[in-house]
Amino acid sequence: MLSYIARRLIAMPFLLLGVITVAFLLTHFTTADPLTSIIGERQMNNPAVVAAARERWGLDRSLPEQYVVYLKNLLSGDFGTSFRTRQPVAQDLLVRLPATLELVIAAMIIGTLFGIALGVIAARFQNRAPDNLARLVALFGSSIPVFWLGLVVLFIFSVQLGWLPGPGRIDSRMPAPPFVTGFYTIDTLLDGNWAAFRSVLAQMILPACVLGWTVTGIVSRMVRASMLDVLSQEYILAARAKGAGELRILLHHALRNAMLPTLTILGFSFAYLITGAILTETIFAWPGIGSYAVAAARGLDHPAIIGVTIVGGMAFLISNLVTDITYALVDPRVKIGARAAQ
Amino acid sequence: MKPHFTGLLAGVAALAASSTFMLPAFAQEQPLVIARNLEINSLDPHRAFCDTCQIYLSATYQGLVKLGPDEKSVVPALATEWTANENQTQFTFKLAPDAVFSDGSPVEAKDVKWTFERLKNVKGDPSFMMAGVQSIETPDDKTVVINMESPNSEFMGILAAPYVGIINSDVAMENGASAGEDAATADQAETWFLANSAGSGPYVLQTYRPDDELRFVRNENFWQDSPPIGEIVIDQVADAVSQAQMLQSGQADIAMQVDPDTASTINSPDIVIETVPSYNFIYVVFSPGAEANQVPLDLEVRQALAYAIDYQGIIDFTVGGEGKMQASPIPNGFPGTEGLPMPEENLEKAKELLASKGLDKGFSIDATVASMNVYGVDLALLMQKVQQDLSRINVTVNIQPVASAVWREQIVKPGIPFSARFYAPDYYGSAQYVQFFGMIPDSWWERNAGGQGKVDVVNQREVELLEKALSSSGEAMEQAYHEIALEMIKDRIIVPVVSPNLVLAYRNDIEGVRYSACCNLPLAEISRK
Repeated sequence: MLSYIARRLIAMPFLLLGVITVAFLLTHFTTADPLTSIIGERQMNNPAVVAAARERWGLDRSLPEQYVVYLKNLLSGDFGTSFRTRQPVAQDLLVRLPATLELVIAAMIIGTLFGIALGVIAARFQNRAPDNLARLVALFGSSIPVFWLGLVVLFIFSVQLGWLPGPGRIDSRMPAPPFVTGFYTIDTLLDGNWAAFRSVLAQMILPACVLGWTVTGIVSRMVRASMLDVLSQEYILAARAKGAGELRILLHHALRNAMLPTLTILGFSFAYLITGAILTETIFAWPGIGSYAVAAARGLDHPAIIGVTIVGGMAFLISNLVTDITYALVDPRVKIGARAAQ
Repeated sequence: MKPHFTGLLAGVAALAASSTFMLPAFAQEQPLVIARNLEINSLDPHRAFCDTCQIYLSATYQGLVKLGPDEKSVVPALATEWTANENQTQFTFKLAPDAVFSDGSPVEAKDVKWTFERLKNVKGDPSFMMAGVQSIETPDDKTVVINMESPNSEFMGILAAPYVGIINSDVAMENGASAGEDAATADQAETWFLANSAGSGPYVLQTYRPDDELRFVRNENFWQDSPPIGEIVIDQVADAVSQAQMLQSGQADIAMQVDPDTASTINSPDIVIETVPSYNFIYVVFSPGAEANQVPLDLEVRQALAYAIDYQGIIDFTVGGEGKMQASPIPNGFPGTEGLPMPEENLEKAKELLASKGLDKGFSIDATVASMNVYGVDLALLMQKVQQDLSRINVTVNIQPVASAVWREQIVKPGIPFSARFYAPDYYGSAQYVQFFGMIPDSWWERNAGGQGKVDVVNQREVELLEKALSSSGEAMEQAYHEIALEMIKDRIIVPVVSPNLVLAYRNDIEGVRYSACCNLPLAEISRK
């Protein structure tokens, strides 16, 4: 397995180079001139201002020259400067990626736990009331728009009931914790600031539940289908014949084998949510990578677009690798990296 | 397993609840939170150019003068007195002897000279404000003399703009700022300005995290009356509904971009909703020089199209009636706008004019608009209403929404026959509107509406009147702008359709919240009851 992981890791930079090249070319072949988002309307007719901006942002160079300079800078960790935030893209990503990861991890935990539980219950009580209810929840999870759900839960739990705070990563009246990891849950603990830690947890509940619900829908359906398949196997019948308890059969014998296809979905969901949490991030004013990507695309912010693409590409590459490795850990029949039997 | 998980959730919710509710005793000391879509392009005073930038700059920097509470007069700020020569080409200022920057160092004439030179030479968005400045003299530490190339009666208004705040030149230069003629490329201070302020305003920048928050703390060395609130946070909240929810839940004290529809859903006795007229406006614009025009958009055709618009209907449709009509591209309340004729819907006249041009069977016109909601108005939706209005005179409007950046490129070349756009004042004064919207050579809209010189849309009368306005003052200046406004109405290139009211929504323990033409929201005036 180690040699397989090593091979995958060695291939990663080459795959990333391909991602960077395609992203670079696509952003530069858009018809709109990025200067329109750098300079205000009034100054677009001022040749001196336009020329100064082109020179300052390196847009006066040829495309191949820009590409070589970009790659050279990238090797030293310089992703360029964002046209929009005017800050180094690496710095922007360093702040936003932990914000999104923190939200996505929380959402994945909530979504996976509820999804598995619902899937198992649905399979156990196939075509009965619990199954119908679980399927209804799954249907809502995958069909209710996140922006609507977000606003509704904010209205109910924050405005009407006052149980949970509204948008933001931390109570606005508190300063953000000193940056160590960028994960506010960890940084507030490292700072020994319990009040801030409680605030961070509270802020995370609603967006994580909203984002997690989409995962719940997908996971529960996948678990239900796999469980139904597994529960009809003869070894389950054998386990029952041997007098094994129902809970043990469900969780120990059936669920473990039913998890394999679910892991694939989880891997993709994780990578997808990292760049796809935009609506949740917007509604909950969560300064993550999704909202950054959309703002970058709207503003023709080339360095930021390429930076986000690199992060997105890496997220997919890493999550695929982790999924493959987890496959092998969960199901000993899977031998990743082994050559096919002759 | 399930009971444990439920217990965990309940515990987390309890923790959450304990952090959400605050004891009243602490409330007075809590930072003031403003919910707003930040959309900041920069915090460098000479590169920043946005609505939030106006709030930021007016809180952290001070100009020589500022706009008075009446929103019209200019009152002292760093300068205690000033004089202008008769033909408005030389302005002399005396600086306050006790004025100091936030680091405690005195504000001196050299700082004023350096600031204005950098503003001009850095060639950022607000650099146009220093256009026409010929030289700046500093006879002593507290005296500044500014010489203009030509008369400019609006210069005092410009100096009241937040973009013209005076920077601590020594500190800025230490951090890479340059005011030389090569400042456009030599200046390296923008990143530093994103984390630091260097002014003499009532607040200093504490932290700025793009798309997240902008945090101010009181300037402990402020040389005038200290602002009541010690710490202010502007929180990034893009969505109007989320802003309203934060306000209702007490998470925010002020919500700045709640639209009238959302405001009508707020029924809390703890919330104050004020609707005030703004100087912002939305307009439709015809470009006779655009390549895609299917019929010549000459004056009669433009007049016909303007007559076919249901102006009151647009106000009702876009902002639920919470807006005002505007006569000319100079907004209501600015010099020269008193008594201007409001736009008129007249279908018969519109049909008559089209018939006179042989277009009574109608024609098609392309309308590209930026996909954006600005001041509560969705430009694409607005254009759909106009589309309905113009269909009554057999004109088919083909709407194409595009990204704002794409719009900005297309409007220059190949031009857009018909569009909708918005404008907010950069300072109090009418010349900015003539220079941007007027059909005077090289104005933004003269070039774009005329297809970069393809069609002659220049109105020579506006050129003469602007010259007259800039070299006069008082009533003579007002009269000149009034005549310019009438000419701009006659041009029928720019047709304002709505000036949306501004909704000020804030909690009832807050006072001093007001809309300002120059500064948007003057933070130093806000206090808790």
